[in-house]
Amino acid sequence: MQWVKEKVREELAIGYRGPDQGCEYHPCHHDGQDCSWCFCPFYPCELPELGTRVKSSRTGEMVWSCVDCEFLHRDDVSRFVAERTQEMNITDPNDSRLQELFTEVCGRFRTRAKAIMILGATSDAGKSLTVTALCRIINDMGYSVAPFKSQNMSLNSSVTLSGDEISRAQQLQAMAARIEPDFHINPILLKPKGDAVSQVIVEGRPFADYDVRSYYGEFIPQHGFAILERNIEYLKRKNDYVIMEGAGSPAEINIYDRDIANMGAARVADADCILVVNIEKGGAFAYAYGTVMLIPEEDRRMVKGIVINNMHGQASYLDEGIRELEDRLGIPVLGVVPHIELRLPKEDSLGCKDRAGDGPDVAVIRLPRISNFTDFDALEMEGARVRFVNEPGQLAGADMIVIPGSKNSVGDLEWLKNVGFDVALLSLKGKVPILGICGGYQMMGSRIEDPMGIEGDGPGEHEGLGLLRTVTVFDSQDKFTKQVEGTLASGEGKVRGYEIHMGSSDRAGHEPLFLIHDDGVREEGCLDIENKVMGSYIHGLFDLPAFRRFAFAMGGSQEVFGNDRDHIEDVEENLDLLADAFREALDMDRFVTEFMEVVTCPR
Amino acid sequence: MPSLMFLGASSAAGKSTISAIVCRLLSRRGHDVVPFKTLNLSLNSFVDKDGGEMGMSQAFQAWACGLEPECRMNPVLIKPHGPGRLQTIIAGRPVEGDDLREKAFSTALECYESLAADHEIVILEGSGSAAEINLKKTDIANMRTARETGSPAVIVGDIDSGGVFAGIYGTYMLLEPEDRKLVKGFIINRFRGDDSILGPAITKIEELTGMRCLGVMPYLPVRLPSEDSLDMSGGGELSGTDVRQAWMDNLERLVDVAEKSLDIDVIMSILEGSSA
Repeated sequence: MQWVKEKVREELAIGYRGPDQGCEYHPCHHDGQDCSWCFCPFYPCELPELGTRVKSSRTGEMVWSCVDCEFLHRDDVSRFVAERTQEMNITDPNDSRLQELFTEVCGRFRTRAKAIMILGATSDAGKSLTVTALCRIINDMGYSVAPFKSQNMSLNSSVTLSGDEISRAQQLQAMAARIEPDFHINPILLKPKGDAVSQVIVEGRPFADYDVRSYYGEFIPQHGFAILERNIEYLKRKNDYVIMEGAGSPAEINIYDRDIANMGAARVADADCILVVNIEKGGAFAYAYGTVMLIPEEDRRMVKGIVINNMHGQASYLDEGIRELEDRLGIPVLGVVPHIELRLPKEDSLGCKDRAGDGPDVAVIRLPRISNFTDFDALEMEGARVRFVNEPGQLAGADMIVIPGSKNSVGDLEWLKNVGFDVALLSLKGKVPILGICGGYQMMGSRIEDPMGIEGDGPGEHEGLGLLRTVTVFDSQDKFTKQVEGTLASGEGKVRGYEIHMGSSDRAGHEPLFLIHDDGVREEGCLDIENKVMGSYIHGLFDLPAFRRFAFAMGGSQEVFGNDRDHIEDVEENLDLLADAFREALDMDRFVTEFMEVVTCPR
Repeated sequence: MPSLMFLGASSAAGKSTISAIVCRLLSRRGHDVVPFKTLNLSLNSFVDKDGGEMGMSQAFQAWACGLEPECRMNPVLIKPHGPGRLQTIIAGRPVEGDDLREKAFSTALECYESLAADHEIVILEGSGSAAEINLKKTDIANMRTARETGSPAVIVGDIDSGGVFAGIYGTYMLLEPEDRKLVKGFIINRFRGDDSILGPAITKIEELTGMRCLGVMPYLPVRLPSEDSLDMSGGGELSGTDVRQAWMDNLERLVDVAEKSLDIDVIMSILEGSSA
């Protein structure tokens, strides 16, 4: 093994070098892995969680194998080892101080992440927000942390750098954890298509459609647990902590044995669980007690804390109830989190609420299968008033009208016509800016061709709203998912966002709205400036100020909105405020000692 | 006097609507039914013929019974106005003073007795969640009312926001043991989908508590006068010109569904048991 020692000697001389893109085996572990320690200076560590003894195929002797160990390929661990070897002036692979350093590394980082799971007594308990807050709090303490939600049902999806589709809630949590989101943090995404059928996205890519029965009856037993196990395992090897989010309530006893989103995931990850209850709607104590007690006894012991969320008014008012709850369950209440108003991307149906503001009035048509309505969060920054409207009369007085994304363009186009939006929108064409995003853009054109029956009940052609001449064709099951960056077509100002769609649109001679910088420059969207009609596939197009200004200016709204900030900066600031509120509300000493477990090196 | 009380597992569980439905359902069968709610915490009020102020939900329930609303159907109305400030209305009129609780409760019992004397069946509604253990000593609107009026009770849980079995079970278990004896059943409200998947869970709750499941009400997007700000998400349409008539038309639709979804025989037997 002398040549291995020589390799380590070379590595010690070089120090930190990041990913080795030039290596023919790269990435041999995971995307973005660090390659500074291709040969481990601590070999053989013999830590059971990092490797195992195997019989050598060559010599037949028992040797230490750590082929699956990711520990030293974590960027934070690798940097730390490089820094310390330089500081300690370790250049010799046989230096006995490497042993001492390994103990230090194991005390500073976890060789396997500790999992903490946030359960909700109801679907709107505030699980997602709690996970977001804890990701930021734990990262602020200097640890690497990843969020995780095994399955998420949401039409608000987002695209990762590698083009994988995950829920926007997990994307926000990744931002709180200060990591680049990938599909591992939300390996199953269910996108409801209507009538109890959902498109199931597995590890970022469309897998198949299921109804409730076949999802629980076939998908979960055949695929669900395996998906869960491999993704949790991946995250545990790469982080100090994994903060997991449950789905709905963990006490849905009719589906308990097939529930991979709650205690099923907690068991796989060996997680300590915290139950969050929303006190705003009343019955919080009953829901907390009932949830814990309906979880079968063998799993119940994993529930180690309760958080009462969304309190309006004095927390001390609850003291007596908290004491009784703690006595009855033997589980501590870690804190009472006040109701907090923050500007963070909204989740699901809760997010489809009107936003008050004194600025321009934006009417968003509330399509039955509206998706990606987080697109409008950035308008709050302009002080815009955002109204979700479901009848044509409500368009009156709007400074801008938006037809948003939809999970089913053909179905929602029919709805628009049935409700009378088609006539109303044509009469407003040229008077008020009308913007279609993604599905809304497809509906705006002259027609939608669906020769394979992907969107409609069967193959067919559907007449569009006629606001643009665009023709959209659904000619393949392929789904286009990509993060994009570019500028307004005029060249003035940046735009950034992501595309998630099936089908493609022919501009039929209209000017483009954006220039997207992919491999080259791609013309995207449509702009009919005379008629004030715009369409684009880009979600998040309001995030940067340029397009917000452009769209409002088109309506003649020249008022100064005065917010030059990137929506992301605003979100960052609100994440810090969220973390502050949770730090204040929770018994942090208790949280650290009982949930974070001080790391000690096993040797 | 037969009476039956609907308690909530949470404040927006749908007690008011279920009470209105049961009022209408019994009224359709020719019974002389009257609604009653000790205490409403709401800004949505109605004024009766004599100018007495009362909660809108009891006015609506009175119409469901074919009765003229009267403020004795909701003897205590608390109207929050501004942070930490409340106006208390007892028997239709604002009352000044601190610590009005006992006065309010004795007035409420008098109102109840007089309604019970005038009518055949009383349908009572609780307030908020019945198991706010931090308020155990001060809550007059739920189990104290049930005890004093000798009314059997049914817990209503909203399944739409998840955790309904936990909510119903927890509500039952956090009640005092003697109060639990009054709670005979539960209703699962606002269910979307195929309710056969709920079977095993319903059986489990029945076994654990001895309560009977009185039915699973499907979710219907129907607009009714909402009790408070938590319930404005109703959706649905109102057609016609008179909103009161439109509400009643919507209620009739719900009652048609309830005829199939609720176990009316069990409701009747609980009512009969209460008068024995």
